[in-house]
Amino acid sequence: MKRASFTILVLALVGHGVLAGEAASGGARAAFRRENIAVHRLDNGLKVLLFEDHDIPNIAYYTFFRVGSRNERPGLTGVSHFIEHMMFNGSAAFGPGEFDRVMEFNGGANNAYTGDDFTAYTDWFPKAALEEMMKLEADRMRGLLFDPAVLESERGVIASERRLGVENDNDNLLDEVVRATAIMAHPYHWGVIGWMSDILGWRRDEISAYFRTYYAPSNAVLVVVGDFASEPLLALVRKHYAGIPAGPPPPPVTTAEPPQTGPRRVQLRKAAQIPSFLAVYHVPGANDADFPALSLLETILLRGESSRLYRRLVSDDQLAISVSGGVNETIDPFLFYVQAKPRPGADLEKLEAAVAEEIARVRDGGVTPLELQKALNAARMRFYTPLQTIAGKANMLGQAEMVYGGFEKLFALMDRFAAVTPAQVREACRKYLVPDNMTVGTLVPAGGGQ
Amino acid sequence: MKRRALTALSILLLASAPAAAGSLPPPQSFVLVNGITVLLHTDNELPLVSFRLLLPGAGTASEKADGLADLAAAMLLKGTSTRSAAQVAEELDRLGVSLRCTAQEEYAEMSGGSLSENFPALLALAADCLTAPAFAADEFAKEKQRRIDAIRQVQDEPSQAVRQYFRKVYFAGHPLGSLKGGSESSLQALGVEDARAFFRRHWLPAAAARPVLVVCGKADAAGLKRLLASTLGRWSRPAGEEAVAAAAMPPLPAVKGRTCVLIDKPDATQAYFMLGVPGLPFGDPASPEAEVMNTLFGGRFTSWLNSELRIKRGLTYGARSILQSWRPGGVFTVTSYTKNDRIGEMLAITFELLAKARQEGFSAVEVESARHYILGQFPPSLESLASKTRAYSELFFYGKGFDYYDGLMSRVEQADAAGVRRAAAALLPEQDYVLVVVGKADDIRKQLEPFGPFSERKIRAGEF
Repeated sequence: MKRASFTILVLALVGHGVLAGEAASGGARAAFRRENIAVHRLDNGLKVLLFEDHDIPNIAYYTFFRVGSRNERPGLTGVSHFIEHMMFNGSAAFGPGEFDRVMEFNGGANNAYTGDDFTAYTDWFPKAALEEMMKLEADRMRGLLFDPAVLESERGVIASERRLGVENDNDNLLDEVVRATAIMAHPYHWGVIGWMSDILGWRRDEISAYFRTYYAPSNAVLVVVGDFASEPLLALVRKHYAGIPAGPPPPPVTTAEPPQTGPRRVQLRKAAQIPSFLAVYHVPGANDADFPALSLLETILLRGESSRLYRRLVSDDQLAISVSGGVNETIDPFLFYVQAKPRPGADLEKLEAAVAEEIARVRDGGVTPLELQKALNAARMRFYTPLQTIAGKANMLGQAEMVYGGFEKLFALMDRFAAVTPAQVREACRKYLVPDNMTVGTLVPAGGGQ
Repeated sequence: MKRRALTALSILLLASAPAAAGSLPPPQSFVLVNGITVLLHTDNELPLVSFRLLLPGAGTASEKADGLADLAAAMLLKGTSTRSAAQVAEELDRLGVSLRCTAQEEYAEMSGGSLSENFPALLALAADCLTAPAFAADEFAKEKQRRIDAIRQVQDEPSQAVRQYFRKVYFAGHPLGSLKGGSESSLQALGVEDARAFFRRHWLPAAAARPVLVVCGKADAAGLKRLLASTLGRWSRPAGEEAVAAAAMPPLPAVKGRTCVLIDKPDATQAYFMLGVPGLPFGDPASPEAEVMNTLFGGRFTSWLNSELRIKRGLTYGARSILQSWRPGGVFTVTSYTKNDRIGEMLAITFELLAKARQEGFSAVEVESARHYILGQFPPSLESLASKTRAYSELFFYGKGFDYYDGLMSRVEQADAAGVRRAAAALLPEQDYVLVVVGKADDIRKQLEPFGPFSERKIRAGEF
């Protein structure tokens, strides 16, 4: 598992290729292209992206805020994710629990996810429910109640989520420790769920202040895809959102991670049947020129049974059950993950040496044109698959706004990927996947495990 | 993490529930010389194609040995007479396509998807895997060991473990009790010849077994027919193997009295429960009201169960109920988890809610809300090519028309409080149930007493 499991990656952009032109349709449906995405901005700063798609009588209504664990500080870690929960627990016109009750009564369903860089609130509903849904969303953007009793109950839910997702999950526990060892200064140091003592200690006034800073329309992008007509929809957006005041510009995230100058190592001992292994390397963010090469290197090393590390660790040496990892699309520099699930009793030193050898092979010998073509094919598949649904389209547009700084970038990604050469993949490997830039973590069964 | 896992699940459930107007257009249909029925739905929006081949009778319920059906299916992708396992994997990766072979309870399936330009190559590879699988001893040994290793991990994941134990306890002795992934000892006992023999006996292209291939996406009938003539159309059954209709499964076990098992996991900090009673067979006339009842009881975020356990009390991150249906019958299950010291409270609330639903039913407003919810959430559940291939193939398998969901949907629209109350009274448990709990026995044994008596076992790596 890659870093925060607290982000849904079902519809992830990770290493997509691009489209323009290929999505041409035979019928009356407009192709999913840059020129068919309508863009509007209200006076309070709310940006609105619209794409009409009349395939099913439903609407995907996605609200993105530029806030995630990246914007938190010690003492308030995990609070973005907590606010995600509180967004369903009362605003001015809808008391605790009303959001879900009204949504489901009108045939809608919803979810939300919080990541390191942004938070998304996702609604899916029949088209007739549009204005009811908009009232719900606009009201909670205007302000939350933070009812003290509800807040305490939800704190318990989060603590349970942390116990289940981190403390009772060996891979995630190791991930948390390795991430905190590799990243010392930047807020990516902690995971999206936050530290337990912070979860138990957030104060209502701090939470409330955090909400006012980061959840204003000026810090949000609304993406609507589905069966609607744009003009009447925009009129409704103005009616329900225009009165919400803009917020002050949130403080910029200025802390930069200092360069790593030597390998780091961390070990966990815990009751477990089998050990866990994770190695990470610092790599740049999604907008960096090296990112596409690193994303393609991820496929060559880690994706599919013909990938180099799968072959070496799983098929040939039989040291591991599976391999996973790679890059994450982030605003600031983050990590390249190499995760292997060791076989019971596997020699972890051998496993680590095999990983190091395979990565050295890319640094020394590079990758073949065939491997690169394979990675590009996979990237195109991953790009198109989510575009089958209105939810996938909305999610991809919003993620591009958040991470790449503009939905337009989505439609240029294929060019960025297609332009990568084998030499660039090798260069990226030489630049980033080197021992001095690496942190290795292992979880070793304590006691009865074997 | 996503706020709730309920949404995806309820949408899956709805695949066995209702639909909006014309949700599945009638597909084009033809039959190959080897007896496979082909259903084609053309959709040119994206350069993608999805397919699913469904083989009745090759599922997990066909064999007593835990894990054999799925392991045999997986071996189809582990090398052919002309391609090594590594070459198959390499070709799949090179094309950027997906291809999987797996066993569900009542059938085995081969399914996949690709860019439309790579679909011919995908079908050619799929046909090679089906017609000339190698069943190589070394690949079998590797795959078996990989599975055994994965099963040992389940002990560290109680949310998965409780499902495995529940299946064994609930279906004890019935074919549906066969574990897809197997157990360590059942897999150890299997040899490559067992997998090969299973394949020969159960993977049979012949009309009598009603195999079906569904293709959805950017493909046309003439092109597909040409393509199939040189690929899946050439698959024939081995000499000497008689293709027969898949044997009907025996009726599902009746649940009489309480069958309660506590699985002791001494290092667990949370306790996980799964409670089950008989449900309905696929397509049962009572399904619409049962779906509405389940939606209200534990099938969505504002359900009674999730409201009481999560929203009001913060006892857990999630609590849900589901209805699962097969040909001979179904099950209704309730699951959740909480800290060790709260499991007694959690179960008491769950049983109170079951009693209330049985005795009082749901209000007219609640029933109206559930109807809207089911109707509103149905269209997206058939939106992607993969979900369409799944729906077409399952309706064919269960012998239903392609307007089945539309009919079901209109019956959901008519469901009223009285009908839903009848469904609750008929389905929800009172004295007869199966209850499995995984947790730290020393901390929870006493709390469980009111719901038992429980038999107790230690959790064992790889065994269920």
